Amino acid sequence: MANVQEVSPVQKAPSAPVESPATTGQDVLVRMKKEMETAAKKKPEERRWVMVIDLRRCVGCHACTVACISENKLPPGVVYRPVIIKEKGVYPKVSMEFLPRPCMQCDNPPCTEVCPVNATHKNDEGIVVMDYDQCIGCRACIEACPYGARTYDFGHAYTDDTPNGFDFLVGQKKAEVYERNANIEYGVKRERKGQASPVGNVRKCHFCLHRLTAGILPACTTTCIGRATFFGDANDKSSLVHELIAKANVTQLKQELGTKPRVYYIL
Amino acid sequence: MNKTIAYSIGIAALLLGLWGFFDRLVYGDAHAAYGSFVVWGLWVAAYFFLGGIAVGCFLWGSMDLLFDVPAFKGIGKTALWASLVTLAAGLMAIGFDLGHMERIWKAYLQANLHSGVAEDVWGYTLFGLFTLIALYQMVKGSRPAKVVVILGFMTALYVAGAPGKLLGVNAARMYWHTALLPVQFLFFALTTGAAMLMVIYSFWGTPSKAEQLFSVLNRATAVLLFVDLYLVWAYFGQGLAGDMPEVANPIHAVMSGHPFLFWVVQIFLGLLLPMVMLAQRKTALNSSLVGIMGLCILIGNMVTRYFILVPGQQEDLIEGLSTAFHGHGYTLAYAPSITEWAVFSGLIGIVIIGLLVGADYLSPMCQCNKSQKEA
Repeated sequence: MANVQEVSPVQKAPSAPVESPATTGQDVLVRMKKEMETAAKKKPEERRWVMVIDLRRCVGCHACTVACISENKLPPGVVYRPVIIKEKGVYPKVSMEFLPRPCMQCDNPPCTEVCPVNATHKNDEGIVVMDYDQCIGCRACIEACPYGARTYDFGHAYTDDTPNGFDFLVGQKKAEVYERNANIEYGVKRERKGQASPVGNVRKCHFCLHRLTAGILPACTTTCIGRATFFGDANDKSSLVHELIAKANVTQLKQELGTKPRVYYIL
Repeated sequence: MNKTIAYSIGIAALLLGLWGFFDRLVYGDAHAAYGSFVVWGLWVAAYFFLGGIAVGCFLWGSMDLLFDVPAFKGIGKTALWASLVTLAAGLMAIGFDLGHMERIWKAYLQANLHSGVAEDVWGYTLFGLFTLIALYQMVKGSRPAKVVVILGFMTALYVAGAPGKLLGVNAARMYWHTALLPVQFLFFALTTGAAMLMVIYSFWGTPSKAEQLFSVLNRATAVLLFVDLYLVWAYFGQGLAGDMPEVANPIHAVMSGHPFLFWVVQIFLGLLLPMVMLAQRKTALNSSLVGIMGLCILIGNMVTRYFILVPGQQEDLIEGLSTAFHGHGYTLAYAPSITEWAVFSGLIGIVIIGLLVGADYLSPMCQCNKSQKEA
């Protein structure tokens, strides 16, 4: 058996599946899941959740975007993890580059300082969270975020333009039931009713905090078909993310602003 | 201007506004055109504009109430009333812009005072209170207490530049990230305050008082307009010379994307024409002309505020971000919606009617006559 400890996902060819160094042949999700269990035993302030995105593996399928929308039941116009597509080169030598952009969960977040009512702050685990019942909807945090990671909930629904029919069978009222159902962001069930929060609030990625609490990886991580997204506790020295962020080919977005993002990109 | 015509314009604007207010209160932000990139639109620009006029009126009023400058004798009451009316409209504008305006009390009782928004809330509230107290004392027939006017003057100076600071601190928006903004906003406030007083006194004031006021105010405003022009040049010139895409692109978008609004309304009608006209001594004798110049300055300044606010948000923070997803508000494009225009119209209607009601029932101009009679 080869010395798998020396084989890191970063050193392997982009097309090869990422394997856990400790459990060769096992999906990397299994390793991350086990690490989540270890992290769950720690106090929140002892954890340092980090996301690592391997841009060489991202195929731009948008599965993470869709999974996030589904997980958090996001309305039209609200997105936590878009995938930015860039075309490189000049025809006929062209290629596509994909950049998934979740919230960076900065250690020095410009968005929290500007909130007039402390509705957004870093929680014990270092995740930048929103208190929907506190937010007044001034949107200063959207302006302050250098990553464009916050969007505003205007109260729209995907079924807005659906014609009305027989309520019990078809038509808007029937179709919108799913959309009006409560999501479980931050562990709180909120039905979408009229102008009640989170309508009129700023919304953002929270690394699927409600899943982390239950020891489950974020939806974008488990859905990534190319295994391009890694997640875990960087304070755990045996964790995959701890290993990955030490690599030379790892970078962060807009480091020059001093925001200290917790999302790393492998180039 | 005939008061009946002014009332008609004000009522028409307010009626349109009532529909806008209803739409905003019932449907929330659903019919607004701002989004997750252009986050602050027409209503925030109106808040900056109207708040600036309020501050400017107070500062000019303090020439009478605090510094006893002879040329400004008797304008205090009018200035305070104009300040209150425009401040109320400005605060309504920002109130409508909030997603949850019913929670505004949190900005007082649970405030994060590091936040520019919280500073603005507190600043404008204190400023409004001092203005209200001073006006109340004047309505009761006495001169406002010096301490109230001094406190009002100090808060006015602060809130004059505060919206500029609110924008300027955003390191993420390079178009705004300059210390010029608070300075610009202070001078814009002074200019628009003067313009508002010109409009009031030329259209509804007593001719003799108007002439006395305009003889000084006109030339002071001409100088302020020159400073404003210089600041616009400094702001845009620096950005163009630096040629950093995040700064230069919005400037190009303003100059070549909206040539009529920028070159004709903002620069020519809002700055150059009134500057030249008001610098001439004989203009002070033509009350209507002064009033029209005041209107030109106000319209031009509203455009200026809009062009500071909106284009700064129309640059992608990360290349390709705005096209990475599709949905309501997820776009860099922005043109105010009908609801936004209707609300804006209502606010202007409130200002017009407020000023007229003040002129009719609070008789803010009467002190001028009284002081003139006393003189």
